[in-house]
Amino acid sequence: MSIRLETIRECFEGIIPGHIATSDTEGIPNLAYLSQVQFVDNSHVALSYQFFNRTRQNILADSPVRLLLTSHLTAAQYRLTLKYLRTETAGPLFEQMRAKLAGIASHTGMAGVFQLLGSDIYRILAIEQVAGPTVAPPPPPLNYLTALRRATNRLAGCANLEGLLETAIACLVDEFGIEQLMLLMHDEGRGRLYTLASHGYPASGIGSEIPVGAGVIGICARERCPIRIGFMTSEYAYGRSVRASIAADGHGDALESAIPLPGLPEAASQMAVPITAAGRLLGVLYVESLADLHFGYDEEDALVAFAALLGLAMLHHQQADDFEDEPAASEEDSPPTGGPPLAVRHFAANDSIFLDDDYLIKGVAGAILWVLLTDFAERRRTSFTNKGLRVDPRIRLPGVSDNLEARLVLLQRRLEERDTGISLSKTGRGRFTLAVNRPLTLLES
Amino acid sequence: MLDSDNAAFIQTGVSISLAASGGDRLPSMSRGLGCKLVDGGRQVAIFIKPSQSVELLDNIRRSGRVANVFSLPSSNRTVQLKGLDARILPFEVADLPIIEAHITDFLAEVLPLGLPEEVVRTLFAYTADDLVMVVYTPVAAFSQTPGPKAGEALDAKP
Repeated sequence: MSIRLETIRECFEGIIPGHIATSDTEGIPNLAYLSQVQFVDNSHVALSYQFFNRTRQNILADSPVRLLLTSHLTAAQYRLTLKYLRTETAGPLFEQMRAKLAGIASHTGMAGVFQLLGSDIYRILAIEQVAGPTVAPPPPPLNYLTALRRATNRLAGCANLEGLLETAIACLVDEFGIEQLMLLMHDEGRGRLYTLASHGYPASGIGSEIPVGAGVIGICARERCPIRIGFMTSEYAYGRSVRASIAADGHGDALESAIPLPGLPEAASQMAVPITAAGRLLGVLYVESLADLHFGYDEEDALVAFAALLGLAMLHHQQADDFEDEPAASEEDSPPTGGPPLAVRHFAANDSIFLDDDYLIKGVAGAILWVLLTDFAERRRTSFTNKGLRVDPRIRLPGVSDNLEARLVLLQRRLEERDTGISLSKTGRGRFTLAVNRPLTLLES
Repeated sequence: MLDSDNAAFIQTGVSISLAASGGDRLPSMSRGLGCKLVDGGRQVAIFIKPSQSVELLDNIRRSGRVANVFSLPSSNRTVQLKGLDARILPFEVADLPIIEAHITDFLAEVLPLGLPEEVVRTLFAYTADDLVMVVYTPVAAFSQTPGPKAGEALDAKP
């Protein structure tokens, strides 16, 4: 095969719709337009099965298949000879295609008409470029290999999880040219993702949550595959997904709804990429844009590779932070505090914390803060270790994969944002200090 | 087989594709550069570039059976015609204005969708010595506009 499929993927986005030709058992030809072609690998593509039509009947009757695809960048046309293999009706490939189709349907006025019934997988037998003139493609917006190389170097230089997160965001902005993004961590025990960092929004949304399975981000987490949409579609709008989840959630361990998820309400292009390491889902990287079709296959490849690097580095720093590398510092007397007292209220039912009646955080991060402040109030304690928190019976961490370090970063950032006179800072691997510059009144509810 | 509405429709700024199958059922297809009606509207003629269509034209010579779709980008309205008697005729220079008008109409359809004009013009670039006309009698017509009526036969209305 002289033309590699990966080099003509711009033809798959449906900007110029492809044509599919089949034959019935008598050899009568049939033609139809394709709404999407999904790249699987260099030997396979998947086509959307939406209606039981003549094309479908012919394929099931073992028809050979021809596609005519056209590049909107070069005007080159390609004929592909395919053999149908099987249909998938669930799983990562199906969800990737379903999300993409929702965007295409909405863009072409076919919302409610286009519905993915299956992903038909084909083997590619031949690719032929159709004779004819072409134009030079426009230069790509940036060189993703160079961006990846520079990002790799920058991530390798980080000393801890907090620094890693900051550098990761800076890399996405500086090297990959991403203007709006969120980094969410996976809370395995609760089936949630919580925002740990963001860029490009009026409010950071740190601490906001989305359930696994909801919207582009949640489906990416559930299927552990990238989900990419090129046009605005209400079907995958996360505001709607989150509201639906809250409604279904009832009470108890409710979704974080006091902190709104950041995001562009009018996002046209959305892409979520799973961050995994050692077979575990650590989080999701989410990027979006107001422009149509802003992220293509090349952008997806680049961010998947970046997320793989980030995942390994996150895992390393989370584990490294469980080991102290410095002797415990002697407890120093904290400086005297002044000013009006800050009322800190703890609700034990869900470990939520309110500072002067303003909501701060809940869940594990809330439990941690309550323990830190209780120890500070009772014993003027300011030095803490990850190891100590992990065995503290008052916190009840959810097992080995507790993402403790990430939860500390979340807590630290929420405190920073609120600027209430309470702050956390790292003093070494697996160690941190608490600083309080106002008198506290602790109230247990 | 074609009512006047659909006869007019296939001569607007539609995307045109023509297919025919080989003896092994493997179909091949090419873009059409325009369309006209002949024989008092009983037959459809599609302009094709032979340099892009060696296999398609071989298949037509072998079987005469063609599938032909017309789709309007701005509305998704899509019609498929089938023919059993397709034959290949030389291109007549007098038909050049039909191709030029088709390119103009197609550009008016797709430029608002954001396609660069240079790309569309390159896609439709042709020389008069690299054109043939495929003529057939439609024996079946189907709506393929996405939706509940997709695949339904079009009733011929005079």
